[in-house]
Amino acid sequence: MIDMQVPEDTQTSLERVLCYLQGVKPQRIACFPLILNHAARAINVPVAQCIQNAELFGKAHVAAYRRYGNDLITFLSTTSTLAEAMGQKMNFIEDDAPQLADPLVKDLDDLKRVRIPDFSRDGRLPIYLQATEYAVAEVGQEVCVSTVFAGPFTTAAALRGADVFVKDLYRNKEWVHELLEICCQAGLKYIDEILVRKSLPIIVEPIGSASLVGPRMFKEFVAPYLKRLADHIHANGGGLPAVLHICGKTKPNWAPMREADFDIWSLDGVDMAEAKAFAGDRVALVGNLTPANLLKNTPEQIDAEAKLICEKAMGSPCGFILGSGCEVPINTPPENVDALINAARRYGRFDQSE
Amino acid sequence: MARDREDILQDLADGVLNMDEDLAVSTALEAIEAGLDAFDAITNGLVVGMNKAGELYDEEEYFVPELLICSDALYAALDILKPHLNRQNDEKKLGCVIGVVEGDTHDIGKNLVKIMLDVAGFEIHDLGRNVPLADFVEKAKEVGAQMICLSTLMTTTMDGMSTVIEMLKEEGIRDRFKVLVGGGPISQAFADRIGADGYADNAASAVRVAKALCAGLKAA
Repeated sequence: MIDMQVPEDTQTSLERVLCYLQGVKPQRIACFPLILNHAARAINVPVAQCIQNAELFGKAHVAAYRRYGNDLITFLSTTSTLAEAMGQKMNFIEDDAPQLADPLVKDLDDLKRVRIPDFSRDGRLPIYLQATEYAVAEVGQEVCVSTVFAGPFTTAAALRGADVFVKDLYRNKEWVHELLEICCQAGLKYIDEILVRKSLPIIVEPIGSASLVGPRMFKEFVAPYLKRLADHIHANGGGLPAVLHICGKTKPNWAPMREADFDIWSLDGVDMAEAKAFAGDRVALVGNLTPANLLKNTPEQIDAEAKLICEKAMGSPCGFILGSGCEVPINTPPENVDALINAARRYGRFDQSE
Repeated sequence: MARDREDILQDLADGVLNMDEDLAVSTALEAIEAGLDAFDAITNGLVVGMNKAGELYDEEEYFVPELLICSDALYAALDILKPHLNRQNDEKKLGCVIGVVEGDTHDIGKNLVKIMLDVAGFEIHDLGRNVPLADFVEKAKEVGAQMICLSTLMTTTMDGMSTVIEMLKEEGIRDRFKVLVGGGPISQAFADRIGADGYADNAASAVRVAKALCAGLKAA
């Protein structure tokens, strides 16, 4: 037990998050632990069952929110969901996230097999959208609900196989742009489907991480397509922000990332003080408790790590939200998620200053 | 007239470093034609280029696509030179079993480490991805390896690494192998906690750590 008082919240999650959009200070910072497949634990069903059934998927995320009080509900089971709906086969694992089976696009000629999905039918898109509807109806008045999907670069890599795809960036540039164009159009349509359900579309682009590609490739193949998604959200979202999450190392790619015009960056393996200095005047920052530490460390250690992150990122000009660097691991002890959110209550306060 | 040895070696290195597979291959053929020793061409040409590519990767000038394409050039040229290797150059190498632990299929990082360790002179036994944990132990015993390299990108599978180490202990053979771990969620603290010998956060540092761990060891 952490021997310290946790201040009471005086705002609902939604009120807190709206403060960021209105440019006013909330009572305390918001906290976005990226609860994805971990939500299955809140209703005690195996992950594969939860993410293949709209009712369970929706109920799991609502139950996780009611258990933890996280300030964002995030519907995502894998970054390959859009690719799956576009024809990519997945392997479902009983109690883990699904994994990519053999790539759909084995030969360049297979490009013609890639289609923009039918959102009422293909893959698990109906499950995502129905679960989103359920959560918005159930708790949309008190917490922000988001539906998360992979950007064009990550979707293309899923369809092609990442190892081959990264070499295509040199060897088949024009072809890569053709593939990215289809993935981008699928993303634009998905945004419409999400917005019409009053959910926040969030884009993740892990294959654009500097753990894989550098700034030159990011500028040529990642940023232009991401920008089209951000522009689309700005044009059609009724004031909603464009949110981008990239896990792993991102610092080398920050300059081209900024060109994609997102309003919120959710970051993982970076120094938040550096991120604040580089982009804090342009974007709100979310991050970045080490996911493996959520799984392995004690609540006291989580508290200490979160405190340090708050010290680095508080006061970022466009705002700061405490979060996990990437997905909260499925088997994370619930008290560690509590410790993260309590750290936002303790170290992220605006109601005491001056 | 045949070019100088230095020029040929330079082009072999440049072909790899500059992702120019055509140059690496044509220079490898030229090296054979010119009667250059294949071992010399590999170690003082191709490997020099790949090591420089590894340095650029470490400095964040090169990223994964560049390193993979450099290695394609390297292996294309190696295919030409290897049949001409003189047996006496065939010194015993340190054996290394490598793979992605069970439950995880992300293998780009593992493949980069494999390439760089291969270039650094280790004898690589690649078990691939989603590898049953007992297979690491069995393979290491079978080939008399000195090192076991475990990789994972996922938090759901990282505990498999500690299971492998426990298996080695149970069989009483833990001290026969150096265990090196790496991958997205892995940290030095985790490596220490599970009793691994080393941790590396990228392919370039994996080679440094592996060499340090194996300094003074002799091949079986």
